[in-house]
Amino acid sequence: MRVNILIGGKAGQGINKVSEIVSSVLVQQGYFTFNYRDYPSLIRGGHNFNVLSASDERVGSIESKLDFILALDNNTIKVHEKELKKDGKIFSPDDFEGLGRNLNIALAGALIKILGIDKQTLTEEVKRQLKNSEEAVKAAEKGFDSQEKKFNLKKLNNKIKIMTGTIGVGEGAINSDIDLYLAYPMTPATGTMHYLAGKQYDNNFMVFQPENEIAVVNEALGASFAGAKTMIGTSGGGFDLMTEALSMQGISEIPLVVYLASRPGPGTGVPTYSTQCDLDIAVRGGHGEFPRVVIAPGDPIECIEKTNEAFYLSQKYNSLSIVLSDKHLAESEFSSDRLPNKTIPVKVKRKIPGEVITKASSYEHDEYGNTIESAEITKVSQENRVKKYEEIKKECQNFQMIKVYGNPKAKNLIIGWGSTKTAILDAMDKIDGSVKTGKGNYKFLQLLYIKPMSNEVEKHIEQADKVILIENNLTGQLGRYIREKTGFLIENRILKYDGRPFCCDELKQEILKIK
Amino acid sequence: MTDICRPFTIDSNAKDPLFSAEKITWCPGCPNFSILSSVKKTLNKLIKKGLKQENIAITTDIGCSSKIYDYIKVSGIYGLHGRSLPTGFGIKLGNPNLTVLSFVGDGGIYNEGISHLIHQGRYNADMTLIVHDNQSFSLTTGQPTATSQKGYKSKSLPAGQPDPPLNPAKIALAAGMTFIARCNARDIEHTAEVLEKAIKHKGFSFVEILQDCLIFNTENNLKDKLMYKVEDNKDKTKAGKLVEEYDYEKQDGKIPIGVLFQEQKPTLTDKWPQLKKLKDKGVSWRDK
Repeated sequence: MRVNILIGGKAGQGINKVSEIVSSVLVQQGYFTFNYRDYPSLIRGGHNFNVLSASDERVGSIESKLDFILALDNNTIKVHEKELKKDGKIFSPDDFEGLGRNLNIALAGALIKILGIDKQTLTEEVKRQLKNSEEAVKAAEKGFDSQEKKFNLKKLNNKIKIMTGTIGVGEGAINSDIDLYLAYPMTPATGTMHYLAGKQYDNNFMVFQPENEIAVVNEALGASFAGAKTMIGTSGGGFDLMTEALSMQGISEIPLVVYLASRPGPGTGVPTYSTQCDLDIAVRGGHGEFPRVVIAPGDPIECIEKTNEAFYLSQKYNSLSIVLSDKHLAESEFSSDRLPNKTIPVKVKRKIPGEVITKASSYEHDEYGNTIESAEITKVSQENRVKKYEEIKKECQNFQMIKVYGNPKAKNLIIGWGSTKTAILDAMDKIDGSVKTGKGNYKFLQLLYIKPMSNEVEKHIEQADKVILIENNLTGQLGRYIREKTGFLIENRILKYDGRPFCCDELKQEILKIK
Repeated sequence: MTDICRPFTIDSNAKDPLFSAEKITWCPGCPNFSILSSVKKTLNKLIKKGLKQENIAITTDIGCSSKIYDYIKVSGIYGLHGRSLPTGFGIKLGNPNLTVLSFVGDGGIYNEGISHLIHQGRYNADMTLIVHDNQSFSLTTGQPTATSQKGYKSKSLPAGQPDPPLNPAKIALAAGMTFIARCNARDIEHTAEVLEKAIKHKGFSFVEILQDCLIFNTENNLKDKLMYKVEDNKDKTKAGKLVEEYDYEKQDGKIPIGVLFQEQKPTLTDKWPQLKKLKDKGVSWRDK
């Protein structure tokens, strides 16, 4: 069983509230949900929509064909009608007149009835989410009573939690005992700043918004030097502004964690949409040669785990860790029945100002931090940075640098990273149930650590007859990087770069096209 | 992996506990030597009075001024050009118990880093900014900065600087800074007195030290004859007049030096309960 529900309307009409109510009810009944948010860069008006996909099995993407359209305005019908399945159903705003701001709640109620979930579950959820508003409950009931039951969703015995990548990164930071989060607003990284700002007083850390991204990163280095476990967050443009200081991190060796959430560039690009176009800058941004770790979680639970590892590595090696995500992972609502791995404790073990006299420098320096220009020390310092990277690389072997899904013996190898993961898993199951059964014709290699890259990547490629690269960008950035590391050119590439994520049914067709 | 760099040992019995053995690479006779003397005089006095040497942290920019990083034995970060101030502010965020001094040149703070300067008037962190203003980019061989006089001919502007200079003291006042002072690099005693007041001030202290460059933009040198000392001023109207007296350009008239303005406002630590807690406990985040 799988249904795809589009909820559309003008910004400000409460589209997300519908998704929240319906997802929450479904998850309580033991069903998995995935909610994709599509919105332009404006605050009121325009056309926003969510696509909510629900299933009795794990689901991590949406499909291109819709079972239901919940339209908060007539424009939504006009835009999306063609995506509706033959037996699909449209809920029009004209069906529920006189509800004003509660139109969205009525639509949620109508859908819940169709899915065959009882009225009490609905009204309790509406009360919980809308502060016991009587009008909202009335609207929900009005919507509910207007429909006939079409499905009969039995309660399942799954324990599922809904989470976004935004919250995952925030939770990972809190688990790592973060002291300071610094950021300048930039979609789609801002959500994590908001989430952490709301948590700062209860968890004894601080969120500060400086005057610009250059201040963010330089302040972060100052604070980290003084003993604070510090993380900063931004998107591509802000990251560009920060790169000089990331390079300074490389030579000064002040620990730093960076959250980079991509959106389509170049330039201002398509600011509220999604892409994987910033792998190159994550791996290489900043002048000079210095070590760094780039980790790309593929779902919110991995965001928790990998952000924790990023903190751990940066403190242990006085190094730079970048957690690479994108709008799709940051803002989509994933559901999962998997709990995160145990948190690795993160401690500041170095001596800090206040207890000793200690220096850190953007200049090449001697062991005390005094400026030097000698050829001898310059050479040794450069080499030491490479040696440090080798140590980091060794330590990373203790973590899950890659994951393998599907049939481990399959000769068709799909390679991907980040937010495409769950769509790839869904597409594989649609083809032949590879992921569910571990049998089918496909194996998926997910790269979680981009830098350092696992030595296993090369082995998997060698074992495969056919290798398929799937990325949400124009030029196949991971593919290029794999070629740099292994010499292997991946010729079969499925690339999507229109700012929208893969739908699993379309992805299935693309995979099957590759002979 | 443990410490970022090997910590220095503190010799509290030394005649000058701030002594650094690093070779000084300023030009012979550079007024930066005088500024270094003033800074060390002030810090040594404060150390004698009980300030812990390990509780001092400095940040520096890139430029002649910022070589001072190597010449004082205190904790610090040799930062990026234009970013000494946010780096110092970051140290304050990391541990509000530290006495933080950020050193900058006129190019670094009035050109590259001007946005950081303006916002410090709002944050009012309890720290001190020390501007070495020689009215040119000297370490890059004499290009004009925001405080170079109109008409200044240099290799990058052979026809002469067409634009008038900024008035940083006026900007500081407009930005709401709570301690604004100007000094003469050559007057070591007076500069040391002002620096002591700046460090003791609860809030953000802006101290601009006017200095000659012996190599570049020398036509702007020897302004000592125009300078006169003002009484510490807490009157904003008077401060408005004082900052107008010198436009960073004219070679006649007067240049007021001393504390041009001082007032009390809530500091960064007063405004953030998390920092207040660290301050009350006397610890950094590490030991929160």
